[in-house]
Formats: sequence, C-alpha cells, structure tokens
Amino acid sequence: MEAERWAQVSRIFNSAIELDGEAREAYLKSECGADESLAHEVKRLIDSHQRASAEDFIAEPAFANSSESKTLADGQQLGPYLILKHLGAGGMGEVYLATDTRLGRSVALKVLSAEVAHDKRRMQRFQQEARMASSLNQPNILTVFEFGEIDALNFLATEYIEGKTLRQYLRSHKLTLPEILDVSIQILSALDAAHETKIVHRDIKPENVMLRSRDQVVKLLDFGLAKPTESGSSTHANDLEGETQYKTAAGAVLGTINYMSPEQAQGLPLDERTDLWSTGVVIYEMVAGQVPFKGRTKSHTLVQILENEPVSLSEASPVPVPDELKRIVEKALAKQLDERYQTAKDMAVDLRKLRKQLDVEAEMRRSVGPTLAVESRATSSVAAGPTVTSDSSRAVKYGMLLLAAVILVGAVWFVTKSRFVQKPPTGPLPSPITQQSLTYSITVQKYRDSKPFEQPFQLAKEMLFERDYQIRLNVSSPKSGFLYVLNEGPHEKEKPAEFVVLFPSSTSNSSSALIADNQQVQIPETSWIKFDQEKGAERVWLVFSANAIAELEPIRAYANEKKMGLIDDSSLSDRVQQFLRTHTGSKPTVEQNAELRQTRVSAPGDILVHVIDLEHQ
Amino acid sequence: MTKPPPSKPHEITELLEQWSGGNQAALDKLYPLVYEELRRLARSYMRREPKGHTLQTTALINEAYVRLVDQHQVHWQNRSHFFAISAQIMRRILVDHARRHLHAKRGGGARKISLDEVMLVAKERSEEVLMLDEALANLARVDPRRCQVVELRYFAGLNNTQIASVLKISENTVMRDWNLARAWLYQQLSETP
Repeated sequence: MEAERWAQVSRIFNSAIELDGEAREAYLKSECGADESLAHEVKRLIDSHQRASAEDFIAEPAFANSSESKTLADGQQLGPYLILKHLGAGGMGEVYLATDTRLGRSVALKVLSAEVAHDKRRMQRFQQEARMASSLNQPNILTVFEFGEIDALNFLATEYIEGKTLRQYLRSHKLTLPEILDVSIQILSALDAAHETKIVHRDIKPENVMLRSRDQVVKLLDFGLAKPTESGSSTHANDLEGETQYKTAAGAVLGTINYMSPEQAQGLPLDERTDLWSTGVVIYEMVAGQVPFKGRTKSHTLVQILENEPVSLSEASPVPVPDELKRIVEKALAKQLDERYQTAKDMAVDLRKLRKQLDVEAEMRRSVGPTLAVESRATSSVAAGPTVTSDSSRAVKYGMLLLAAVILVGAVWFVTKSRFVQKPPTGPLPSPITQQSLTYSITVQKYRDSKPFEQPFQLAKEMLFERDYQIRLNVSSPKSGFLYVLNEGPHEKEKPAEFVVLFPSSTSNSSSALIADNQQVQIPETSWIKFDQEKGAERVWLVFSANAIAELEPIRAYANEKKMGLIDDSSLSDRVQQFLRTHTGSKPTVEQNAELRQTRVSAPGDILVHVIDLEHQ
Repeated sequence: MTKPPPSKPHEITELLEQWSGGNQAALDKLYPLVYEELRRLARSYMRREPKGHTLQTTALINEAYVRLVDQHQVHWQNRSHFFAISAQIMRRILVDHARRHLHAKRGGGARKISLDEVMLVAKERSEEVLMLDEALANLARVDPRRCQVVELRYFAGLNNTQIASVLKISENTVMRDWNLARAWLYQQLSETP
C-alpha cells in the first residue's frame, strides 16, 4: 500500500461515508473520475465499514471483562432473575439474557444505566415504553413481562427474541418479495393492535423491527416514543407535544428523519397515519435497497419529504416490482393525510391479497412444471382476476384464480422476467395453500384413590372417561401459526358458556399463541385437565390460524396463575363463544391414525376450528 | 494494594521527560518498567476483585501512572505519552497472552497458565487479538496515527475524548480515523483465509 494512494483513499472514504445513495455515487464519480480501481477500493472499504459497524467489529476493548458499562456479571442474581449473558448496550442502558427463576423462562432484561435513571426525561421515556408495550397484547409486539426496581437498578423484563433487527438483516440479506410482504403485514398487524388502543408508535424504522431467527416472526420494538393519540387535547398542548416530539425524534436518535412523515417533519400533531407512512418508507427500502427520501443533509431530506415525490418504486428497484406493490407504497406515502391509507388494517388487507397472488403463482409454477417454475411475476393483470372475499368460498375461487393465472403467466412469461428470488419447492408437494391442519393425541392418567394409577397412556381419539381420569393434549401443526385452545365447561344450552384458556399459557411458549411448524405443544403445559363433578361433556376447542385472531388474542390476558385461565369477563366470553359458533360451519376432515395414536384434523381456509368432546361417567 | 511501587517515581518521571524530549533510548528503559507495573497491577486486580468484576483497562493505566510517576515533577503532556506507551504495552500483554492461550488449546499446553492470565482475554477473542495485532502492524507502516487510535481504543480501552486528548487531535478526527482503520482492518481480517 502506497502512502500517497492511501491518503487519497482515506480522504474519499471519509467524505463518502457521510453521504448516502445517489449523493455518494455522484461524489465517488466526481472524485475518482476514470480511475476505476480507486473507486473500487473505496467502495470495498465502505462496504467493510458498513459490515464492521453492523457486526460491532472490535467495538469492545480486548479485555475480557472490560466492557466498562457492564453492571451485572454472568451468573449474578438480580431479584428473581439469573443473569446468563450480556447481550449488548444501547443508549438507554444494557440488555442481558436472563432466566426468570420463578417461571424458568428466558427473558431479555433491559437495565437502565444510572445516568438514565437520574435523568428525569429519559426515565419517563423508559417508563412510557414499559407502560405502552405492556398494555398491548399482540404476537408481533414484544411482550413486556415486568417493569421494576431491584437493588436500585431499574429494569424492564421482556420476551427474549433470538434474532436480528430488520436493519441488521437488510445489511446481509436480500429479502425476497414474499418475505418483504410477510414482514410488512406483520408490522401492520402490530400497528393495528396498537392503533386499536389509540397508541401511535411514531418511530417505525428497520432498527425497531426485530426478526426472530427461528421463524422470521416480526416483533415491533421500542414504544419509547409512542404516545396515545392526542385527539382530546387542546391546541396549545398539541403544539407543545408536537414540538417536543420532533426534537426527541430528530435529536435523540440520529438518522431517523428518513422515516418521518410530512406531518412529523413539521412538528404537527400526529395520528395513526404517521405510522403507515413510515411503514411505507420501510417497504420501499426493503424493495429498492434505499429509502425514498434522502438528501445530502437533514434539511435536504426534510424538503424531499415535504415537497418531492420519490423516484417510483419500479425505477428505484433493481428488479421488477409488481404494479400492485407500487400502488400500495405510493398510497402509504401520500403526503395528504386523506389520500393515504387510513388504517393499518386496510393497508394490511391489500398486502395480504398481493401475498396470496404470489402464493397462487408459486403453487401454479409447481403444478405447471419445472420449465415454467424458474421465474415469474405477480402482475397487475393477475390482480384483475376474481378476488377472494370470504372464507367459505375461498377454495372454489382459488381454483378459478389459479386457472386464470396459468393462462396469464403463459402469456406474460416471454415478456417479463423477475429476479425476485423465490424459493424453489422442496420435498413432497405441499398441501393446498389455503388449508390448515393440526395433529393431536390425548394422554390419559388414571387415578385410584386420588393417586396416579399405572403409567399414562395415549389415545388417538376421545373415549368415555372415568370421572377421576386426568387428561392432556399433545398438539402440533406442520405449518407455523397461531394456536388457541379453550375449555368450555358443561352447561345448559340457554346458559352462557364458561371458558378456560388452556393455551397460550403464561408458563409456556412465552405466552404467545404463535407456534412453530412441528412444534409439539403439551396442553396444559404443567398440569392436567380435570373433570368437574357434574356429569356432561367438557369441550376442548382447538383453533388454529395462519394469522393472529383478533377476537381470541384478548384471552391471553387470562392465561395466568392468578386467573387460572378462567375468562371471568362475561362480555369477552360472549365474544369468544360468538367467534367459535360462527367458525364451525365447515366441518374439518378428521383422520385417525391408530398406529401412531394420533388424530389429524384439516380444513380449507385460513382458520381451523375443531372441538374435542371429553365425556366422563 | 499497599505494596510500594517497585521503581522510583523520579526515575520514571525523568525517563518520560527525556523521551518526550526526543530521546528514544529513554523509551527502551521506560518500557520494561511500565510493563512490569501494568502486569503486576492487572494480576492484583484479578485477585482482589470478586469474580465477575469488571476490569477497566483505563483505570488500570491510570493507577499505574499515579504509582509510577511523580505528580509534582512531571509535565502534564507526559501523561499522554504515558498512556500512549501503556496502550502499546497492554497490546503486547494481551497478544502474548492470546498466543499462549491458543498454544495451550492446541495441545502444546504442558505449560500451566495461571488463572489471572486466563482471565485477561476471553478465550474466543484470542484469535481476534492475534489477527488484529498482525493487521495493525501492517497498518502502522503506512498510517501510524490511525494504528495508534485503534491501539488506544481496543487495547487500552480509552474512549474518543481520551484518545483525542492523548493524540492532540479533535474528537471528530478520532472518529474518522477509527472508522477508516476499522473498515480497513475488517477487510484484512475477512480476507485472511
């Protein structure tokens, strides 16, 4: 390495990393001119710079124990929490992996630095995050278990997610189109739940979206900036709020202005729609590899956000983009509030439809054969086919849609090519795309004189049980999805039902309804189902869905030791009953496998509802 | 803790003065004295602190400085010099340690490694330390200052403000130097098969 050359490389590098996207390209062009090897050298260095910061390369001094901010040591006990590992440090404090020794579950323990704890404003932010997040109960929002103070340390215990932030992920991966849609839909599901309770996140960006490694499930983080909507407050209060908000968002965390909505950039009062704008920016970035609004300086970026239309997604993207996705993103990025998506639900619906088209095509490519299966594209012409309207008619309509798609793709095949990587089908042909299935078995423990008698045994299907038998269910699904299991006690027809939540439970699966594919779930996790004294059938409802079920999500609040799973809110149990009644129209197919002592239930559509009647004498 | 420092503060102070004045021979004498003191301090830290206590490299060097140098006689700039050479020394201690550690792990380990030494560098970081040391030596040939920034930060645990004051450059420059050096080192390390 020549000193002169090195001086040149370092000068260009240092200026270039301050710029982004086009500005950087232009700068490199002007500095390196025709010297391609110089440009190449600088670009490689920039790439290494990005990787090095993403991976925290040599961020910690070499000394083993030298992370000077580390407050807790591995193996140390903080109240009921046993510290296992230091995971990292951020602006607010440090994060540890710990075990809650009371329940034996893993938690992420966020410990506030003393500096923050003494800072009233930051402390407020921390408490706000805890309050906001804990009031939300949705699988795509990080579950907050506890917020408290032990030994003068303020901490927040949350669900522990093994994964990466979307930002980290984007640095090393190119997301496929279906993946982009899945991530977006989940962000919107989280926002829908937050908006439902009148909470606006205000800081949607890839850094705040976590992807769980195991199954790519999205968890929305950082409700630190979130606030209840300000509909009721006076104009004066609004102004103040807006101003503070802008300062916090722009000042506290660098670089976040790229995701700001026009109203946020102006410090105006915010509502739910600001989050939809930011989600639009995130989708744009996932597709195009760059944010839609980006200037040389913050002020330039602000002007872009307020005044300019972004480069169209199809032009910005290195690969062809479905017209429908382009339309969705444009609608999310409408500068006028009334032209934008009005609810997260609406936006999610459009994305889901597009996602399904892709599924249909993938399915079609599988059935048409390998020559056509290489590449294809979801075009707006496919969207012109019949749209799916209801669960019951879905299967039939998919047939039609599939046919339409076969013909269309045959026609457009030679015209368009997409390089969106789509995973080739592997293994045996999967079951039809709109089918859900569950496999379950029943474990029975006999009792004599109140003592367990003989070894537990396994059944494929129900039998007429003795009153003192105790029962467990073992459930799994070949696909990941949301599982809800409820016990409906015996009751007279006219009387309202009483429900006990068996799954999710506070002692297993991090209180989440989401189970992984082929995950074996034992229900109940630690105890057994016991029969009531009165005669009659105990009904166990199994509900399984590709998506979280809004009507059933609230039951998770009852799945704890205090409530013993009993839903004692009669309006909620009415809603649950209503849901179960309306979803039992199409009977699932039931197949028993005597050899494996298992029952497999399957049904077309997105939601599977199956009831097991446990009768005793 | 109460043990007196092994060398006379005057001697070290004087050597520091001479070295700052441009006398390279002074550094050769200074080096082993500071080396011994830092090693000794690191060991005693490990012994007296409860398990899992955090060892702060900067605090260690500070303590060595207070113990070794006569505060009344030394010119304040010499403190920077002291930190600069301590960072080099810490690098050597850590690299030596990492080398022995890997050697022991690969079955050459008839030699007993004392507990305090083992605790200095986490096992999994030994390789990183060695590779980095090698890459840094290459960097030093073309760009000694940026190499020093890495040394002060990675091996001596100084923060940007402290590095800025030791090297008498602005914090912004420290940040830029760090970005560049780290990117370059990352590239070197990722190219090494």
